[in-house]
Amino acid sequence: MNNLISAFIGALIAIMIMFNGTLSNIFGNYTSSIIIHIVGLFSIVLVLLISKSKIKIHRKIPLYWYSAGAIGVFTVLFNNLSFPILGVSLTLALGLLGQSLASILIDHFGLLGMQVIKFEKKKCIGLLFIALGILMMTIF
Amino acid sequence: MFYISISILAGISIVLTRIINANLAKTIGIFQGTFFNYVIGLFFSLIFLAFSKESLSISNSTLQSVPLWAYFGGLVGVFVIVLSSYITPKMSSLYLTLLIFMGQLFVGIIIDYLTLNHLSLGKVIGGFLVLIGLTYNLVLDQKQEVLYSTEI
Repeated sequence: MNNLISAFIGALIAIMIMFNGTLSNIFGNYTSSIIIHIVGLFSIVLVLLISKSKIKIHRKIPLYWYSAGAIGVFTVLFNNLSFPILGVSLTLALGLLGQSLASILIDHFGLLGMQVIKFEKKKCIGLLFIALGILMMTIF
Repeated sequence: MFYISISILAGISIVLTRIINANLAKTIGIFQGTFFNYVIGLFFSLIFLAFSKESLSISNSTLQSVPLWAYFGGLVGVFVIVLSSYITPKMSSLYLTLLIFMGQLFVGIIIDYLTLNHLSLGKVIGGFLVLIGLTYNLVLDQKQEVLYSTEI
């Protein structure tokens, strides 16, 4: 079930990229980013109202936990910088490499409060297939 | 080299966003966490716009050329963040990354086929290779779980 939800998130991201890409072609990257965030903010406020959730300011949690929204904007900036130079496929493939490396480190050491899931050598065969597949997609 | 590092950094930042969001969501609630995500994101988008050379000029003609559905990306994004915050603490970060990638890839291929009428064979074959590698590792994990449970 968890695996299915994960793949579904990916499907949603593909649709989102098509929508957001159309917007940024017309308005430009940063203006569209503002529109996207306003629409998103409006949607989540609606969800909060319907579910009658309350927002409290928690003083005890670390400040950097609130930084995810800011990092997301940097993701967009980094991608915008490299798309014109490296092309779409290579940027995506390198991005996936970055995601995989970061994930392996986070899993193995249980960074940022995540569960420790040790990396095993026999999984290298599977990873080799994955790397091959990504290479194939980038070249063709 | 600079642009290669930037692309890899972009990937790392995606994983960091996901985990930090999930941590926030665990403490203050998934919807509340998503709310702060958008507030901070909007604030930083405004700062970036101010520093960029882009002008915030929205004329009537550009507005008319935008199809209505294109505005729903932000709404879809809310679903993505809510679901990610829910699933991130429950899974290995690497598998989550790869499974999201699979879903994205195959729907991306379908969208390309429907809108551009173009089917990229390299992407389909590459996608299946990734799927094989991922399934292989997932099966390894399951065997291990069975092993653990019989030991206990």
